Amino acid sequence: MIAYIIRRLIATIPVMLLVAVIVFLLVHLAPGDPASVIAGDNATSDQIAAIRATLGLDRPLWEQFAIWIWRVLQGDLGQSLFWNRGVAELILQRAEPTISLAITTLIFAVTIAIGLGVLAAWKAGSGIDRSVMGLAVAGFSLPVFVVGYLLVYLFAIELRWLPVQGYRPIAEGFWPWLERLILPSIALGLAYLALIARITRTTMLEILAEDYIRTAQAKGVATRPMLFKHALKNAAVPIVTVVGIGVALLISGVVITETVFNIPGVGRLVVDAITRRDYPIIQGVMLVFSAIYVLVNLAVDLSYTLFDPRVRY
Amino acid sequence: MKTTRRQVLGAGVAGSALLAAPGIVRSQPRPPAARTVRAVMHGDVPTFDPIWTTANMAAYHGNMVYDTLFGIDENVQPQPQMVGRHGLSDDKLTLTMELRDGLKWTDGTDVTARDCVASLRRWAARDGAGQHMMERVQDISARDAKTIVMRLKEPYGLVADAMAKTSTPICFMMREREAMTDPMQKIETIVGSGPFIMNERETRPGSQYVYDRNPNYQPRSEPPSWIAGGKVVHVERVIFQNMPDVQTAIAALQAGEVDYVEQPPIDAVPALEADRDIALMDRNPLGNVGWIRLNFLHPPFNNVKARQAVLWAVDQEAHLKATFVDPRFYMKCGSFLTCGTPYESNANTEWFQRGPNRERARQLLRESGYNGEPVTLLQATNILYMTNSAQILAQELRAVGFNIQMVPMDWSGVVQRRAVKAPPDQGGWNIFITSADGLSSSNPIWAAAHAATGERGWFGWPSDELHERLRNEWVQAPDLETRQKVTQRLQENAWNFVPHVYYGQWRTPIAHRRNVTGWINSPGVVPFWNVRKT
Repeated sequence: MIAYIIRRLIATIPVMLLVAVIVFLLVHLAPGDPASVIAGDNATSDQIAAIRATLGLDRPLWEQFAIWIWRVLQGDLGQSLFWNRGVAELILQRAEPTISLAITTLIFAVTIAIGLGVLAAWKAGSGIDRSVMGLAVAGFSLPVFVVGYLLVYLFAIELRWLPVQGYRPIAEGFWPWLERLILPSIALGLAYLALIARITRTTMLEILAEDYIRTAQAKGVATRPMLFKHALKNAAVPIVTVVGIGVALLISGVVITETVFNIPGVGRLVVDAITRRDYPIIQGVMLVFSAIYVLVNLAVDLSYTLFDPRVRY
Repeated sequence: MKTTRRQVLGAGVAGSALLAAPGIVRSQPRPPAARTVRAVMHGDVPTFDPIWTTANMAAYHGNMVYDTLFGIDENVQPQPQMVGRHGLSDDKLTLTMELRDGLKWTDGTDVTARDCVASLRRWAARDGAGQHMMERVQDISARDAKTIVMRLKEPYGLVADAMAKTSTPICFMMREREAMTDPMQKIETIVGSGPFIMNERETRPGSQYVYDRNPNYQPRSEPPSWIAGGKVVHVERVIFQNMPDVQTAIAALQAGEVDYVEQPPIDAVPALEADRDIALMDRNPLGNVGWIRLNFLHPPFNNVKARQAVLWAVDQEAHLKATFVDPRFYMKCGSFLTCGTPYESNANTEWFQRGPNRERARQLLRESGYNGEPVTLLQATNILYMTNSAQILAQELRAVGFNIQMVPMDWSGVVQRRAVKAPPDQGGWNIFITSADGLSSSNPIWAAAHAATGERGWFGWPSDELHERLRNEWVQAPDLETRQKVTQRLQENAWNFVPHVYYGQWRTPIAHRRNVTGWINSPGVVPFWNVRKT
């Protein structure tokens, strides 16, 4: 298994290099100029040119890429063009809110979605099934920001149960941390919930039609152990795969959710960086996101051994 | 190898603890909410060096942590701020400024004349008004620890005005150590002598900027007036919260999570007015002026008749109503220098009094010899008033015969492309839309865009010798009355050669919680001194 992990990790290197090249070209070839943004609206062309030279943006593109990639290979993601701080430091500073949001969203979406999916499969064709699938369609169809604004209006402004926005570190207490993550997690998790609920239902329907389930029922196994012990465990591999794939959905959703709920996470960092063309931050965050995606997929592959003893690496 | 669920859960718990550990170690006591003002400003602080950039948010940051030698008051007059006694010699060629007692940097050292001389030089290297002033300055020196002496080559009536202005970059005083930094390089260290100290530990760039009251600040005794007078701080902490989503900011204000929103959208005004906990305030009486910049380097706007055609085609009411909706917040203005200032004028405004007149515009366009070549209009789609005005302008100009090609992009794309001097079909442009604050627009020196120095000047690169001569006369005018007379001539000439066109003037109200009082009006920056929270 260790050899397998090493092989997979080595295989990520060309992927990351390709990502680095694409991201670098995309951000540099898109219109926009950080020097102009820094200089402000009153600046003249000469002042902007001077700032561009200071930032090294007047160098040929290949030279800028070579400098950046050489630093990345040494573990240095570079400096923000706007603040005198390292990109890695800024990402680390913003990591806690994003990781917290991802964890609470995963817990919310996975627990509810699996429950609903199993319920829908067990009651296939009933009103419950149709309600769950209706909820799934709504989850897919409603954009994150629409759900976000509706939740804010209802629970934060009208009912005053929860805060509108912001983030408190977990070090300041569990409830202050959690209460600011409830609405964002629901808004972000709805599409994720829909995805997992649908795949759970489909997979469970197949499993529930298997002979061994019929045998278990014939031998008098109670419904709950039959559903969760015999059926769900065997349906877990495709569900876990979808959970892993859904991380991409989560990453893209985090960007919008953090903006709507004013959560100072990595998503906000990259959106602000794109707006002002802070190239090192955009490149650094994209690389980190790509690495996370690759590693999550590796973790998903490894988790198969937990659910299916026949899988060996 | 077999991984158990218990191992997975254990790893999760350990990861969470690791995640929380830095926060637990970092946590420190904070002032109570009742002594903290949370404000959502119009944007993010792009850099902490307010001299290096002309970006407004950098000036907002500077206004918290630095102080100025002079500050402009509500009569648009410069008043001494860090300066105590000061005077001009009889020949009007030597200005002596003595620093008042008790001024200290936040590192505990005294503010000296040497610090201020270095700060003046660095600021003047980056600021248009400063450069204009320095061309007439023989020398600036520190006579002793507290006395600054400026010797002029010729009488110059705008010295104190330039040092007092709130248009960017503002003439902030820094320690000599920072002020000696190359003006083209950013400063790294934030040590000011202003009413607040930046709390770098709790500041999160891009998210929140934390300013604590400077306990050693010595305010002046006069009442506050714009950025002049006593800067007495009544709260312990001010936090600029960067909230890119204005709807979230409004919801946070309604829920009491923030105390101040600088630029609520106009369509949110009725809801805010209906909220008894929230008050709206017209903080900046001069507001903003909308500018349509025309590129003098290429056809058709290298021809004055084509520029005059635009002047006659634009209906300011249509532009303003589309974005600012409520006439309480906008006004049409035909004055070359901002309406509502002593320099407002009706000279040569037939186009404004009788316009818009499409027939007249068509005739002028025909006279220009325009042959239907595409006219590239840059449209900043991420800024509401700009994108609205670009669409309206395109229709107005098409109606009089221009072949308008709109190029949508975000504002960052516009600021990059507007610097391109090449022809429009080679990456250049013909028209872009912007705005400037009313105070800087009221002064032909302060706003870089008022210069008509050709390719050395601001984007659009207008060129007119008479305009430049009149700008110099304006500066040298000994009193307000003379300056107003020069303004008349400046405007008559400007609306003949048309360096740019205006699409109106507007004010955006600020919204604040009613329990936070004492807000001071000021164009350019937001003063947080005098503010009280109950």
